[in-house]
Amino acid sequence: MGDEVISVRGVTMGFGDRVVIRELDFAVQRGEIFVVMGPSGCGKTTLLRHLLGLQEPAAGEVRYGDESFTSAPPDVRERILRRVGVLFQGSALWTSMTLAENVALPLEQFTSLPASSIRAVVRLKLSLVGLGGFEDYYPWELSGGMQKRAGLARAISLDPEILLIDEPSASLDPPTARRLDALILQLRDALGTTAVVVTHDVATILGIGTRALFLDGEAQRAIAEGSPSELRARGPAPVRAFFAGSVAGP
Amino acid sequence: MTLGVLPVTKSPGATIEMRRADDASLLVRLGGAWRLTNRLPRVDDVDRELDRSRAPSVTIDLAGVDGWDSALVVFVGAVLDGCRARGIPVDARGLPPEVGRLLQIAQETAAPIEQVAPRPSGLERVGARALQRHVQLGDAVAFVGDTALGLGRFGGRRARYRSQDLWLLVQQSGAEALPIVTLVNFLVGIILAFVGITQLRFFGAEAYVADIVGIAVVRDMAALITGVTLAGRSGGAFAAQIATMKVTQEIDALRTFGISPVEFLVVPRVLALTAMAPFLTLFADATGILGGAAVGTTMLHQPFSGYMRQTALALTAGDVVGGLVKGATYGLLIALTSTLQGMQAERSAARVGDAATQAVVTGIVAIIAACGVYQYVFFLLGW
Repeated sequence: MGDEVISVRGVTMGFGDRVVIRELDFAVQRGEIFVVMGPSGCGKTTLLRHLLGLQEPAAGEVRYGDESFTSAPPDVRERILRRVGVLFQGSALWTSMTLAENVALPLEQFTSLPASSIRAVVRLKLSLVGLGGFEDYYPWELSGGMQKRAGLARAISLDPEILLIDEPSASLDPPTARRLDALILQLRDALGTTAVVVTHDVATILGIGTRALFLDGEAQRAIAEGSPSELRARGPAPVRAFFAGSVAGP
Repeated sequence: MTLGVLPVTKSPGATIEMRRADDASLLVRLGGAWRLTNRLPRVDDVDRELDRSRAPSVTIDLAGVDGWDSALVVFVGAVLDGCRARGIPVDARGLPPEVGRLLQIAQETAAPIEQVAPRPSGLERVGARALQRHVQLGDAVAFVGDTALGLGRFGGRRARYRSQDLWLLVQQSGAEALPIVTLVNFLVGIILAFVGITQLRFFGAEAYVADIVGIAVVRDMAALITGVTLAGRSGGAFAAQIATMKVTQEIDALRTFGISPVEFLVVPRVLALTAMAPFLTLFADATGILGGAAVGTTMLHQPFSGYMRQTALALTAGDVVGGLVKGATYGLLIALTSTLQGMQAERSAARVGDAATQAVVTGIVAIIAACGVYQYVFFLLGW
């Protein structure tokens, strides 16, 4: 067993009596970009919500390092989540705050840095995502791509060990999506962050994924795990069809 | 190189030491763990030293750094910027390659300065605010006109709306408001009766409390209190619903289908509230009188039938109709102000709350102002 940052053991996810995915088992190694892929509605975002404790598994457990997250009391969960940054599909920026305030809030709450240092960190984070100079803008004054990048700046505000990213390329044009992919790679390389990326975008999967897990909504389970290029070439039929269909496009 | 010792700053975890060499160059030696969660030295100390010493060159030595995150990147970046601004050559020894890469990414991805619109000054913001108010006033006039046209199209069966939405709004604004309207007006009837008895007692005229409560409730208080309740209940909800639809671009979606948001959203709300307010006022009349009767029968030991007969004798049909007209007017004003606030909201979650607050405030102000106008007009007419 390598250096497992996240491990999911026998997790069954669902809503009430309706099961989405059964007995899910996988582990995310330190420093990798682990992609969770599959067609729409297969349970990718639901899995992310389970990793964040926003939904509880019907069975099984989620572990961060050697700590159980699922059975942890609220204060321990809070401490574990302090190591995690999240980029939501819709960015989820606080619209009543400027970009600087969005990035500054976690720093104000969880560090004892003076205001001048917080401002400097905020400037760095926004510069890292190409939004230097946009500190005083409100989210609704920005384009979708810029909001995504601002969401990423907020997600890395506390230098998290783990980054969870939900559909990074959703609602972005392909060039902007590729730039965001490149940014995620750069940040991983520079900060050594482990990333879990949930996406159905084949270009993102092949471009940044080091390993991938394929969720099959019909089979209600994960049917393949491996390097994205390997899965595309030699994966099970539904996985190859997913890659082929997505590449060919409608 | 011989070094002269300069001020040293140490914080738990992160340390900084500055020394001057014989050639007057400045050595900045960093050590320890540079993490956001630690107490960190301030870059201002280095800036001050650069200004004071006028060092011809700076060397940053990071060999002693044994842990780092963005805190180190920010500090080194600030020292590099400070040296660059002063034209001082700088040599960073032992700089972790990742720190160099992060600084490079921050520089490479920084938006070109011409892409960044300058932020307006305070005076410009005041001016912009005044212009915005002017535009909003124009929008409000246009909105009332659009609503009138929409009501006209509704009357001509040409308006685009969903009848089930209208009936749902009628239910929400009418039947579902009954419990709170009942409670509030019953309590107001009790309060009026207490005040009336207390004052009439000085003249030995407590027996006329039924007249006072009946006239006050039916002519004004029932409509006014029902209006205030509806402003808080339905007005706030209307503004929040429409503002949320603006945030989520649902109103844009209506427009793209060629559906007028005024016809689809505003007209049904105006109709529902204007139609339901008189019914609620009528109900409020009854519960307000009952509140007064509760006090009259218990404190003055008046028979219930006698209290009610005295109330009926004190009231005229004009009092009742006048109260209902006021109720309908207040309903109309609340519907208009709340839907206007919703339509004028900006695309942000915080603005949804602001729209709801503004709707309640302007709704209450509008109905109290209208009440004043009605009092004056009725006084002139001798009603």
